Amino acid sequence: MLDWIRGVFSNPAVQSAVRVTFIMAFASTAISSGIGIAAGLWLQKHNFFGKRVIIRINRTLMGVPPVVIGLLVYLLTMRGGPLGPLSLLFTVRGMILAQVLIITPIISGMVYSYAAGAVPAIQEFAITMGADKRQTNRLIISELRNEIYFCIIAGFGRAISEVGSVMLVGGNIKGHTRTMTTMISLLKSQGIYSEGIGLGLMLLLIAFILQTLGDYLRKEEVRNENY
Amino acid sequence: MRITELRKKVGGMEIHVPDLRIESGRIHGLVGPNGCGKTTLLKMIMGIIRPDSGTVDFEGLRPTDITMTSQRPYLMRASVYDNIVYPLKIRGAGIDQGEIDDLLERTGLLPHKHQYAGSLSSGERQKLSFLRAIVFHPSMILVDETFSNLDPDSEALFREMILERREKDGAAWLIVSHQWDRMNSIFDEIHHMEKGRIVKRDGNLNGAIK
Amino acid sequence: MKKLLAMFLSAAMVMSFAICANADEDGGVLMMATTTSTEDTGLLDYLQPLFKEDTGIDLQWTAVGTGEALKLGEDGQVDIVLVHAKASEEEFIANGFGVERFPVMYNDFVIVGPAEPIEKTDDVAAVFGTIQEEQLPFVSRGDDSGTDKKEKKIWTELELDPAENPNYIESGQGMGATLTMANEKNAYCMTDRGTWLKQSIDSENDYVIDIVCEGGKQLLNQYGVIAVNPEKYPDLNNEAANKFIEWITSEKVQKLIGEFGVEEYGQALFTPNAGTDS
Repeated sequence: MLDWIRGVFSNPAVQSAVRVTFIMAFASTAISSGIGIAAGLWLQKHNFFGKRVIIRINRTLMGVPPVVIGLLVYLLTMRGGPLGPLSLLFTVRGMILAQVLIITPIISGMVYSYAAGAVPAIQEFAITMGADKRQTNRLIISELRNEIYFCIIAGFGRAISEVGSVMLVGGNIKGHTRTMTTMISLLKSQGIYSEGIGLGLMLLLIAFILQTLGDYLRKEEVRNENY
Repeated sequence: MRITELRKKVGGMEIHVPDLRIESGRIHGLVGPNGCGKTTLLKMIMGIIRPDSGTVDFEGLRPTDITMTSQRPYLMRASVYDNIVYPLKIRGAGIDQGEIDDLLERTGLLPHKHQYAGSLSSGERQKLSFLRAIVFHPSMILVDETFSNLDPDSEALFREMILERREKDGAAWLIVSHQWDRMNSIFDEIHHMEKGRIVKRDGNLNGAIK
Repeated sequence: MKKLLAMFLSAAMVMSFAICANADEDGGVLMMATTTSTEDTGLLDYLQPLFKEDTGIDLQWTAVGTGEALKLGEDGQVDIVLVHAKASEEEFIANGFGVERFPVMYNDFVIVGPAEPIEKTDDVAAVFGTIQEEQLPFVSRGDDSGTDKKEKKIWTELELDPAENPNYIESGQGMGATLTMANEKNAYCMTDRGTWLKQSIDSENDYVIDIVCEGGKQLLNQYGVIAVNPEKYPDLNNEAANKFIEWITSEKVQKLIGEFGVEEYGQALFTPNAGTDS
């Protein structure tokens, strides 16, 4: 068993896929978190005409099949597409762009939901304490930090497990844009299962670690519940 | 502080306070049945809810000199200590560790000083919220049923601390209570509220200091 | 609302059962594993209704790489395989998974790419040599499919190692996706003619690459059909598999294959050669 694992992960193609996967997942989660958290909090804070529609669109995008986003990014970045001159197609940067489009609504939607529930009470509290605007914003972020971490973890989980859009936009190019998921897909098409199982187990392990982190944060949250 | 012609529609009821003065160094009681608008009135004074019309004139007080505690206080996701020092921290004020330990000691919270605030019982939460309100010596303190459902000993302790604070800081207190009969021993004046209006005012029950 | 949803779901279930039941009528189902090229060119869509008409058998297929197609046969998941990698097919039979290999038809491969710097030729060795020497971009399928094996074999025969070319990349995807990538990257690519013709006409891609090499002897691509060994997997529909082999190698169907694509593309996509020793 141990030899088998060592065998699978000493394969340079597998190592490269793992590396590409992590670069893509970390970069896209970081960008999506920045945009998504800000957007979610902003949306909670401001009231304007059409806000409910925006929220509904956000919720819809949370459930969009990634392959649809993949197609969209493909069309944007292909030769003759509006972003064609940037040469993003079949590059990791292109994959990150697609992932950002997939994950950002997930993070902003989740952050908005949490914020909508918790921020009014935090704001009232901040007023009674005499906090100014900047202090209030800092308080909101620090009070919601567990939820925000949770959203980031959820986003990372999505990024790392995505296959459809990554295949379309990245092109599954060996050593460049081949990720763990697209590699599994390719190995399956070649009738090679053992390395696919190895990669699958690793993804499973990552999912388990993320779940454990999420559970820990949720437990922490329950402990601090305001009743 | 003076309230003039304050109006606010809430549900089917209109809160209308033509004239209400809250004076420094006095403890004002606000008593009335559930749903008569007491909390809304407090929130309007605090600036959490905007009135439909009318004015709240602080007569020189800054909004940051006023604070409010409620029956179900918001506790930060941090330790008891961090909760208490929060108003001091955002004011950049110095933290007198001795004073804080003394306050915690008197209310029996000292053993919980470094525990998560969220792990406290509801009575302990109310105590913490009360300490957090008085720790920065505000000029006006609005108390929304913070003393409900407390055991008689704790209630007596709060009464004692309020009187002490009044003498020390000369702060104005506006205290909402169901159980006015127990709290009333320290009220300088009591405003009875019913259906959005102040219907009766009893003054100088216990002799004002001023 | 809930009631409506429940009604909708049960209706959908009944319908799907009905569809499943339908498939079991008449001569049953023949399950085939084949390569993407037979599907991508539309050949199977063309043959399937004719086969049904003649035999009553419903032909169903899964189009995958040759490697996976043979693997599906080895695992007894399909009744028959139609692939194009003679050496692997012979090994498949030698290992007892297949009964006998019948040649069906061939198509040929072409090399497509930008017109510069390679001029159109039939000299495969020259084209591959230039690509290697000048480190020109080349997109390989790299998915162990029949086409991929064929391409790798040519490099090997020419004693060239494409891994030395930094612009040689492997897409790990099917022919259509790989051609699209080659076009986007303005790279060279080896493809079967059928997929190329269909792609260059049907797809919405604006093709900037074109054929730079065709007609070379190394570029011929022979398809074979093999029934999966019923001694290994007795519950397979071997009867239908044999009927299909008999049918596709018959004079009538061979002629149909030779006509396929002429109308649409101006040339045949496959050349029938059943009964030869290919």
